[in-house]
Amino acid sequence: MATRKVHIFGYGRHGQRIASGLRRSGYPLHILEQDDVLIRKAYADDYVDVDQVDMTDDDRIEALDIDETDRVVCVMDDEHFNVFVTLTLRQFHPKVEIFSISDSIHTAEKLTMAGATTVIDLYEVSATRIHNFLNKPVTTHLMSSILADKRGISFHEYTIPEGSFLHGRNTEEIEFFRFNILLVGVIDHELGKDLIFITEGINHKLDSGDVLVCMGKNEDLKRFEETIKRRTI
Amino acid sequence: MPREVHTPLIVTYALRRHRSARYQRVKGFFRDILTNPDYPYKKFFDLFMIALILSSVWILVHEVKHPLPHWVDVYDLYVVTLLFIVEYTLRLWVYSDVHEMVLKEYDDALMLGKPLSYLKIAKRFFRSKFAYMSSPAAIIDLMAILPGYRPLRVLRIFVLFRLFKLLRYTKSINEFVQVLVEKKFELLTLLFLLVFIVLTAGIAIYVFETHVNPKINTLFDAIYWALVTISTVGYGDIAPVTTQGRVVSGIIIVSGIAMISFVTSVIVSAFSVKLEELKENRLIHDLNKEEAFLILCGYGQMTKMFLRQKDYPLEYIILDSDADRVAAARKDGYNAIQEDASRYEVLHRFNTEYAHVTLATLLNSDIENIYITLNAKSVDASIQVIARMSDRKMEHKYKLAGADHLLMPDEVASRMLLMAIEQPAMQQAVVHLLTGRSKAKLDEILVHEHDHYCCKALEAIDFKQHKLLFIGIYRAANGEFLFNPAKELILEAGDVMLVVGYHISITQFEKDFRSV
Repeated sequence: MATRKVHIFGYGRHGQRIASGLRRSGYPLHILEQDDVLIRKAYADDYVDVDQVDMTDDDRIEALDIDETDRVVCVMDDEHFNVFVTLTLRQFHPKVEIFSISDSIHTAEKLTMAGATTVIDLYEVSATRIHNFLNKPVTTHLMSSILADKRGISFHEYTIPEGSFLHGRNTEEIEFFRFNILLVGVIDHELGKDLIFITEGINHKLDSGDVLVCMGKNEDLKRFEETIKRRTI
Repeated sequence: MPREVHTPLIVTYALRRHRSARYQRVKGFFRDILTNPDYPYKKFFDLFMIALILSSVWILVHEVKHPLPHWVDVYDLYVVTLLFIVEYTLRLWVYSDVHEMVLKEYDDALMLGKPLSYLKIAKRFFRSKFAYMSSPAAIIDLMAILPGYRPLRVLRIFVLFRLFKLLRYTKSINEFVQVLVEKKFELLTLLFLLVFIVLTAGIAIYVFETHVNPKINTLFDAIYWALVTISTVGYGDIAPVTTQGRVVSGIIIVSGIAMISFVTSVIVSAFSVKLEELKENRLIHDLNKEEAFLILCGYGQMTKMFLRQKDYPLEYIILDSDADRVAAARKDGYNAIQEDASRYEVLHRFNTEYAHVTLATLLNSDIENIYITLNAKSVDASIQVIARMSDRKMEHKYKLAGADHLLMPDEVASRMLLMAIEQPAMQQAVVHLLTGRSKAKLDEILVHEHDHYCCKALEAIDFKQHKLLFIGIYRAANGEFLFNPAKELILEAGDVMLVVGYHISITQFEKDFRSV
């Protein structure tokens, strides 16, 4: 998984955070930026694959070595450029996954229209959090510590490997409580690409390649990751 | 302390009052119900008094042409008057604390080593009570009691003072009077001008027409005529008959028109300026009656987005010091007032005593946000503050200022994007769980003392049948989160259960859970 390259357009306030997060997880990174100061900052932060690119130069962007399976993150500080680059990239690489952050209310829609695969709407996400502070304080507190990995409890997603004992079994018959984890949802490729929550009550037939989202203590989650590789338990 | 032996009786008595929680509570209750506009039950008292007044005035009017049954007279004489007397006495009582005066006087005397002066206490007492009695509202109250004294029939007309008493219980009339008071200078100048013109014209007509016009016999007739003419009322009972007299009328008619339009414009302009303020006051006043409400500082993108997600559970108000942004918020249909949330007086106007107040400071600047947080906490530490933070380095300062929740939009968004790349399915799960949009959501269910399942083991609950995924329990008692606990765990009152499921499943479960 971690071999797919990530091209980060923009080394501004979002870019720096995302790059360091991805580096920690071991992704190969390619940083593109047009600002001199930020380019120097990227070098100073020990990134090797850094290019200074004029984002309005279509020929230059077309010439970039971007594979269809690579991922692109558009997080320049100027949202106009994000939309513009997304459009340009979509034109040259119709299949590549493009991620972006929308910094103002109407940009999210424009980015999606321009062809971004996943758009995180900064204001929407934050506003939701305020609502949650007010409506569901316990949940919010728990979720934020889960996400910040403070309580030792977290979410994890597993892609069922080839030859796993899970292959061909139904979700109902697997006793997740024995592993001390909870199955939250499944991406069942027979039913589509979306996550289906377990609470829908569907008894999924699992195949290798399906994705399980589980919740549990970190050590239990890690143990389960090893367990699912086995043919039997 | 040997002096204690000689403590005068009055001081012992005052001390007992000072220390008595019951006395303070009772007095506090009456003070709230009579004078505190934020007190939730005051409106019932006000409505009751208004009904009393209206009934009394109705009796006065009805009595003119119809004989009244005896009980109505008794009601008017004893019930209404007695209640007014009680109210007057209570107001006089809560206006100041006598025992505090005694103690203060005693402290002073001890400090100076002089004997306690009863005369000084009495002076203090009368001065403070007289200060209340001589206030216009108190005078009206007193006048409203007078018609109860039957031997003097003339006093009956004082029932009309009871109408004035309505002013006390209705806010908008007070505000109207307030507007007039604020334009005192302009109105007084005009009044002076009016008196000047009326007197001059009156004297002129008196000189010109006394012997010619049979209607004008005294100076009073002349001035009365001038007043009727200048006001453009013009009854016509007195009219000038000489040329000179008509010239004088011409002059005062013209000046009368000018003056009336002048007065109108002064009052109208005063109102249009004041109207905004009145509306804002009304907004705050209405909000203060709520049990819980939300103050949003700044009408920026964040606030807009927050309000757009329609399910905000509370009444709210937006404070912004920028007039353009306030106008924009109003145009978008939100309650906004132009105030600076970093000022003490602004937040102090909110009812932090009886209502649960949450303040969200969502400005772009950390300095402003920290300042507002501090301000809110200094007004009342019970105000819950949600602050937006732009720089992680500021976290410590926010915590010191007392912010309850911190929100860092940039970081939240970056983290979400990272998650979308690294664990896309999990990101979907988190987004859905938190927003509850279209798919399952994560929700909390509070266990009450009287719930069917309270104090029973978890295994009694069939989550699966309700199509819910049980995540764990947050035990508020020790601030602990029990993830996926064993089935034998006993539910306690105050526990919060976290479950994942469709909105409809959760609602249904809550219903079943609550039923006995």
